[in-house]
Amino acid sequence: MFALLRLSVIGFIVLSIVYIFVSFYSRAKRRGKLEAAWDRGDRDGDWRVDEEDKAGGPFVDRDAYIADGMKKYDGSLRPKLILGVYVVPVFAIGLLIYLTNFA
Amino acid sequence: MVYVKWIFVSLFWLFVLATLHYTLPQNDIVRIADTYEKRIDFGENSIFWAAPDVGNDTTTVNRDVFFIQTIQQNDRPLVYRNEDTGWGWPPYFKFDTSNLQAEATDFKSTKEAAQWVAVRHYGWRNEFLSIFPNAVGVKKVEGPDVRIIPWFNIVFLTVFFAIVWAIWVRWKRFRAARIDPLLDDASDAWDRVEAGTSERRSRLSRWFRSWRGPDSRN
Repeated sequence: MFALLRLSVIGFIVLSIVYIFVSFYSRAKRRGKLEAAWDRGDRDGDWRVDEEDKAGGPFVDRDAYIADGMKKYDGSLRPKLILGVYVVPVFAIGLLIYLTNFA
Repeated sequence: MVYVKWIFVSLFWLFVLATLHYTLPQNDIVRIADTYEKRIDFGENSIFWAAPDVGNDTTTVNRDVFFIQTIQQNDRPLVYRNEDTGWGWPPYFKFDTSNLQAEATDFKSTKEAAQWVAVRHYGWRNEFLSIFPNAVGVKKVEGPDVRIIPWFNIVFLTVFFAIVWAIWVRWKRFRAARIDPLLDDASDAWDRVEAGTSERRSRLSRWFRSWRGPDSRN
Protein backbone atom coordinates (compact mmCIF):
# COMPACT_ATOMS: atom_id res chain seq x y z
CA MET A 1 0.00 0.00 0.00
CA PHE A 2 2.99 2.26 0.53
CA ALA A 3 3.72 2.12 -3.23
CA LEU A 4 0.15 3.18 -4.06
CA LEU A 5 0.40 6.04 -1.57
CA ARG A 6 3.70 7.11 -3.10
CA LEU A 7 2.21 7.02 -6.61
CA SER A 8 -0.80 9.06 -5.46
CA VAL A 9 1.29 11.71 -3.72
CA ILE A 10 3.84 12.10 -6.53
CA GLY A 11 1.09 11.96 -9.15
CA PHE A 12 -0.90 14.64 -7.32
CA ILE A 13 2.14 16.93 -7.09
CA VAL A 14 3.10 16.48 -10.75
CA LEU A 15 -0.47 16.92 -11.99
CA SER A 16 -0.89 20.01 -9.80
CA ILE A 17 2.16 21.57 -11.44
CA VAL A 18 0.69 20.73 -14.86
CA TYR A 19 -2.70 22.11 -13.78
CA ILE A 20 -1.22 25.40 -12.58
CA PHE A 21 0.80 25.81 -15.78
CA VAL A 22 -2.14 25.03 -18.05
CA SER A 23 -4.45 27.35 -16.06
CA PHE A 24 -2.05 30.27 -16.26
CA TYR A 25 -1.36 29.58 -19.93
CA SER A 26 -5.07 29.45 -20.77
CA ARG A 27 -5.80 32.70 -18.87
CA ALA A 28 -2.89 34.48 -20.56
CA LYS A 29 -4.14 33.25 -23.93
CA ARG A 30 -7.65 34.57 -23.25
CA ARG A 31 -6.31 37.91 -22.01
CA GLY A 32 -4.24 38.25 -25.18
CA LYS A 33 -7.31 37.57 -27.31
CA LEU A 34 -9.34 40.20 -25.41
CA GLU A 35 -6.55 42.75 -25.79
CA ALA A 36 -6.27 42.02 -29.49
CA ALA A 37 -10.07 42.28 -29.90
CA TRP A 38 -10.14 45.67 -28.16
CA ASP A 39 -7.22 46.98 -30.20
CA ARG A 40 -8.88 45.84 -33.44
CA GLY A 41 -12.04 47.62 -32.35
CA ASP A 42 -13.91 44.32 -32.55
CA ARG A 43 -15.69 43.99 -29.17
CA ASP A 44 -17.88 40.96 -29.78
CA GLY A 45 -21.00 43.03 -29.06
CA ASP A 46 -20.09 43.18 -25.35
CA TRP A 47 -21.91 45.87 -23.43
CA ARG A 48 -21.24 47.08 -19.96
CA VAL A 49 -23.89 46.25 -17.41
CA ASP A 50 -22.91 46.86 -13.79
CA GLU A 51 -23.86 48.81 -10.67
CA GLU A 52 -22.70 52.16 -11.94
CA ASP A 53 -24.09 51.78 -15.40
CA LYS A 54 -27.36 49.90 -15.06
CA ALA A 55 -28.63 51.06 -18.39
CA GLY A 56 -25.78 49.46 -20.22
CA GLY A 57 -23.62 50.97 -22.87
CA PRO A 58 -20.45 50.33 -24.82
CA PHE A 59 -17.20 49.93 -22.93
CA VAL A 60 -15.17 53.09 -22.87
CA ASP A 61 -12.18 51.70 -20.98
CA ARG A 62 -9.81 48.96 -22.21
CA ASP A 63 -9.05 47.66 -18.67
CA ALA A 64 -12.75 47.42 -17.82
CA TYR A 65 -13.40 45.53 -21.04
CA ILE A 66 -10.60 43.05 -20.30
CA ALA A 67 -11.57 42.65 -16.62
CA ASP A 68 -15.14 41.91 -17.67
CA GLY A 69 -13.95 39.39 -20.28
CA MET A 70 -11.74 37.63 -17.71
CA LYS A 71 -14.66 37.45 -15.26
CA LYS A 72 -16.73 35.78 -17.99
CA TYR A 73 -13.81 33.43 -18.68
CA ASP A 74 -13.59 32.40 -15.01
CA GLY A 75 -17.27 31.52 -15.01
CA SER A 76 -17.11 29.60 -18.29
CA LEU A 77 -16.67 25.88 -18.95
CA ARG A 78 -13.02 26.07 -20.03
CA PRO A 79 -11.37 26.47 -16.57
CA LYS A 80 -13.46 23.50 -15.38
CA LEU A 81 -12.30 21.42 -18.35
CA ILE A 82 -8.69 21.96 -17.23
CA LEU A 83 -9.56 19.86 -14.15
CA GLY A 84 -9.45 16.99 -16.66
CA VAL A 85 -5.70 17.10 -16.00
CA TYR A 86 -6.53 15.20 -12.78
CA VAL A 87 -9.38 13.06 -14.10
CA VAL A 88 -7.91 11.72 -17.36
CA PRO A 89 -4.79 10.05 -15.84
CA VAL A 90 -6.91 8.33 -13.18
CA PHE A 91 -9.13 6.81 -15.85
CA ALA A 92 -6.11 5.97 -18.02
CA ILE A 93 -4.56 4.08 -15.08
CA GLY A 94 -7.83 2.26 -14.46
CA LEU A 95 -8.02 1.21 -18.11
CA LEU A 96 -4.36 0.14 -18.07
CA ILE A 97 -4.88 -1.98 -14.94
CA TYR A 98 -7.84 -3.70 -16.59
CA LEU A 99 -6.04 -4.33 -19.89
CA THR A 100 -2.82 -5.56 -18.30
CA ASN A 101 -4.28 -7.87 -15.69
CA PHE A 102 -7.82 -8.85 -16.57
CA ALA A 103 -8.31 -8.58 -20.35
CA MET B 1 31.28 26.01 -27.08
CA VAL B 2 28.91 25.03 -29.88
CA TYR B 3 30.31 21.48 -29.78
CA VAL B 4 29.88 21.23 -26.00
CA LYS B 5 26.27 22.32 -26.34
CA TRP B 6 25.55 19.77 -29.06
CA ILE B 7 27.23 16.98 -27.11
CA PHE B 8 24.96 17.71 -24.15
CA VAL B 9 21.89 17.93 -26.38
CA SER B 10 22.67 14.61 -28.08
CA LEU B 11 23.43 12.90 -24.75
CA PHE B 12 20.10 14.11 -23.42
CA TRP B 13 18.17 12.80 -26.43
CA LEU B 14 20.13 9.56 -26.41
CA PHE B 15 19.05 9.08 -22.80
CA VAL B 16 15.42 9.89 -23.63
CA LEU B 17 15.36 7.46 -26.57
CA ALA B 18 17.07 4.72 -24.53
CA THR B 19 14.49 5.19 -21.76
CA LEU B 20 11.65 4.97 -24.28
CA HIS B 21 13.20 1.89 -25.88
CA TYR B 22 13.55 0.24 -22.50
CA THR B 23 10.10 1.19 -21.23
CA LEU B 24 7.72 0.89 -24.19
CA PRO B 25 6.14 -2.51 -24.85
CA GLN B 26 7.41 -4.74 -27.64
CA ASN B 27 6.22 -8.11 -28.93
CA ASP B 28 8.44 -11.10 -29.69
CA ILE B 29 7.22 -14.21 -31.49
CA VAL B 30 8.76 -17.09 -29.57
CA ARG B 31 8.19 -20.67 -28.47
CA ILE B 32 8.11 -21.29 -24.73
CA ALA B 33 10.47 -24.08 -23.76
CA ASP B 34 10.09 -23.99 -20.01
CA THR B 35 9.35 -21.81 -17.02
CA TYR B 36 11.14 -21.71 -13.68
CA GLU B 37 11.78 -19.58 -10.65
CA LYS B 38 15.09 -18.65 -9.12
CA ARG B 39 16.26 -16.82 -6.03
CA ILE B 40 17.86 -13.52 -7.06
CA ASP B 41 20.27 -11.51 -4.92
CA PHE B 42 20.10 -8.09 -6.50
CA GLY B 43 23.48 -6.48 -7.06
CA GLU B 44 24.65 -3.60 -9.20
CA ASN B 45 21.89 -4.49 -11.67
CA SER B 46 19.14 -3.88 -9.09
CA ILE B 47 17.75 -0.91 -11.04
CA PHE B 48 16.83 -3.31 -13.86
CA TRP B 49 14.57 -5.42 -11.64
CA ALA B 50 10.99 -4.53 -10.80
CA ALA B 51 9.13 -5.03 -7.54
CA PRO B 52 8.08 -7.96 -5.39
CA ASP B 53 4.45 -9.01 -5.75
CA VAL B 54 2.19 -6.23 -4.58
CA GLY B 55 1.02 -7.04 -1.07
CA ASN B 56 4.20 -8.87 -0.10
CA ASP B 57 6.96 -7.52 2.07
CA THR B 58 8.94 -4.97 0.05
CA THR B 59 11.90 -4.69 2.41
CA THR B 60 13.55 -8.06 1.77
CA VAL B 61 16.96 -7.96 0.11
CA ASN B 62 16.37 -10.98 -2.11
CA ARG B 63 13.43 -12.98 -3.43
CA ASP B 64 12.38 -15.63 -5.91
CA VAL B 65 11.70 -14.37 -9.43
CA PHE B 66 9.72 -16.18 -12.12
CA PHE B 67 11.47 -16.75 -15.45
CA ILE B 68 10.17 -17.82 -18.87
CA GLN B 69 12.64 -19.61 -21.14
CA THR B 70 11.84 -19.19 -24.82
CA ILE B 71 13.34 -19.96 -28.22
CA GLN B 72 13.09 -17.38 -31.00
CA GLN B 73 12.35 -18.09 -34.68
CA ASN B 74 16.10 -18.10 -35.40
CA ASP B 75 16.58 -20.86 -32.77
CA ARG B 76 18.35 -18.52 -30.38
CA PRO B 77 17.26 -18.44 -26.75
CA LEU B 78 15.56 -15.50 -25.06
CA VAL B 79 14.82 -15.57 -21.34
CA TYR B 80 12.24 -13.31 -19.75
CA ARG B 81 11.71 -12.48 -16.13
CA ASN B 82 8.15 -12.26 -14.89
CA GLU B 83 7.71 -9.71 -12.12
CA ASP B 84 5.00 -7.38 -10.85
CA THR B 85 5.57 -3.73 -11.63
CA GLY B 86 2.77 -2.87 -9.19
CA TRP B 87 2.24 0.83 -8.63
CA GLY B 88 5.84 1.67 -9.48
CA TRP B 89 7.95 2.35 -12.53
CA PRO B 90 7.50 1.53 -15.38
CA PRO B 91 3.75 2.22 -15.23
CA TYR B 92 2.44 -1.10 -16.54
CA PHE B 93 0.38 -1.70 -13.39
CA LYS B 94 1.07 -5.40 -13.66
CA PHE B 95 -0.21 -7.39 -10.67
CA ASP B 96 -0.94 -10.73 -12.34
CA THR B 97 2.55 -12.22 -12.36
CA SER B 98 1.49 -15.62 -11.05
CA ASN B 99 -1.41 -15.84 -13.53
CA LEU B 100 0.96 -14.95 -16.36
CA GLN B 101 3.35 -17.65 -15.22
CA ALA B 102 0.49 -20.17 -15.34
CA GLU B 103 -0.49 -19.07 -18.86
CA ALA B 104 3.11 -19.21 -20.05
CA THR B 105 3.58 -22.68 -18.61
CA ASP B 106 0.39 -23.77 -20.37
CA PHE B 107 1.93 -22.73 -23.73
CA LYS B 108 5.01 -24.93 -23.30
CA SER B 109 5.81 -26.79 -26.54
CA THR B 110 8.54 -28.87 -28.12
CA LYS B 111 10.70 -28.06 -31.13
CA GLU B 112 8.82 -30.66 -33.21
CA ALA B 113 5.32 -29.46 -32.37
CA ALA B 114 6.00 -25.76 -31.89
CA GLN B 115 3.30 -23.52 -30.44
CA TRP B 116 4.25 -19.95 -31.30
CA VAL B 117 3.24 -17.18 -28.92
CA ALA B 118 3.66 -13.41 -28.83
CA VAL B 119 5.30 -12.27 -25.61
CA ARG B 120 4.59 -8.65 -24.81
CA HIS B 121 7.43 -7.27 -22.74
CA TYR B 122 9.56 -4.28 -21.87
CA GLY B 123 13.22 -4.10 -20.95
CA TRP B 124 16.49 -5.42 -22.28
CA ARG B 125 18.38 -8.67 -22.15
CA ASN B 126 22.02 -8.07 -21.30
CA GLU B 127 24.31 -10.97 -20.43
CA PHE B 128 26.99 -8.77 -18.86
CA LEU B 129 24.58 -7.18 -16.40
CA SER B 130 22.42 -10.32 -16.01
CA ILE B 131 19.26 -8.40 -16.82
CA PHE B 132 16.12 -9.74 -18.49
CA PRO B 133 13.13 -8.21 -20.24
CA ASN B 134 9.99 -8.35 -18.10
CA ALA B 135 7.12 -10.25 -19.74
CA VAL B 136 3.79 -8.43 -19.45
CA GLY B 137 1.48 -10.63 -21.51
CA VAL B 138 1.48 -13.80 -23.54
CA LYS B 139 -0.83 -14.53 -26.46
CA LYS B 140 -1.19 -17.46 -28.86
CA VAL B 141 -0.36 -16.63 -32.51
CA GLU B 142 -0.84 -18.53 -35.78
CA GLY B 143 2.78 -18.99 -36.71
CA PRO B 144 6.31 -17.63 -36.44
CA ASP B 145 5.78 -15.04 -39.21
CA VAL B 146 2.86 -13.15 -37.65
CA ARG B 147 3.27 -9.40 -37.81
CA ILE B 148 1.97 -7.37 -34.86
CA ILE B 149 1.40 -3.66 -35.46
CA PRO B 150 2.47 -1.71 -32.35
CA TRP B 151 -0.57 0.58 -32.17
CA PHE B 152 0.11 1.64 -28.61
CA ASN B 153 3.66 2.73 -29.42
CA ILE B 154 2.54 4.58 -32.56
CA VAL B 155 -0.07 6.55 -30.64
CA PHE B 156 2.15 7.10 -27.59
CA LEU B 157 5.17 8.32 -29.54
CA THR B 158 3.04 10.59 -31.74
CA VAL B 159 1.41 12.20 -28.70
CA PHE B 160 4.72 12.37 -26.81
CA PHE B 161 6.61 14.15 -29.58
CA ALA B 162 3.61 16.41 -30.30
CA ILE B 163 3.70 17.55 -26.65
CA VAL B 164 7.48 18.03 -26.75
CA TRP B 165 7.15 20.06 -29.94
CA ALA B 166 4.27 22.16 -28.55
CA ILE B 167 6.24 23.03 -25.39
CA TRP B 168 9.40 23.71 -27.41
CA VAL B 169 7.61 26.12 -29.79
CA ARG B 170 6.02 28.00 -26.90
CA TRP B 171 9.31 28.19 -25.01
CA LYS B 172 11.02 29.62 -28.13
CA ARG B 173 8.23 32.17 -28.57
CA PHE B 174 8.44 33.11 -24.87
CA ARG B 175 12.23 33.51 -25.16
CA ALA B 176 11.96 35.68 -28.25
CA ALA B 177 9.31 37.88 -26.60
CA ARG B 178 10.63 38.17 -23.04
CA ILE B 179 14.26 37.10 -22.63
CA ASP B 180 15.98 38.14 -25.86
CA PRO B 181 14.95 41.82 -25.47
CA LEU B 182 16.50 41.80 -21.97
CA LEU B 183 19.74 40.34 -23.33
CA ASP B 184 19.67 42.86 -26.20
CA ASP B 185 19.24 45.66 -23.65
CA ALA B 186 22.17 44.29 -21.67
CA SER B 187 24.43 44.05 -24.72
CA ASP B 188 23.34 47.54 -25.85
CA ALA B 189 24.26 48.87 -22.45
CA TRP B 190 27.60 47.10 -22.63
CA ASP B 191 28.19 48.59 -26.11
CA ARG B 192 27.50 52.04 -24.69
CA VAL B 193 29.94 51.42 -21.85
CA GLU B 194 32.60 50.30 -24.31
CA ALA B 195 31.93 53.23 -26.64
CA GLY B 196 32.17 55.60 -23.65
CA THR B 197 35.51 54.20 -22.48
CA SER B 198 37.07 54.30 -25.96
CA GLU B 199 35.85 57.88 -26.37
CA ARG B 200 37.45 58.80 -23.05
CA ARG B 201 40.62 56.91 -23.97
CA SER B 202 40.96 58.77 -27.24
CA ARG B 203 40.44 62.10 -25.48
CA LEU B 204 43.19 61.12 -23.03
CA SER B 205 45.61 60.10 -25.78
CA ARG B 206 44.92 63.34 -27.66
CA TRP B 207 45.86 65.22 -24.50
CA PHE B 208 49.06 63.15 -24.15
CA ARG B 209 49.92 63.85 -27.77
CA SER B 210 49.44 67.56 -27.21
CA TRP B 211 52.49 67.43 -24.89
CA ARG B 212 54.68 66.53 -27.81
CA GLY B 213 53.79 69.57 -29.83
CA PRO B 214 51.53 70.15 -32.84
CA ASP B 215 53.76 68.40 -35.44
CA SER B 216 53.64 64.98 -33.69
CA ARG B 217 49.93 64.61 -34.44
CA ASN B 218 49.12 61.78 -36.86
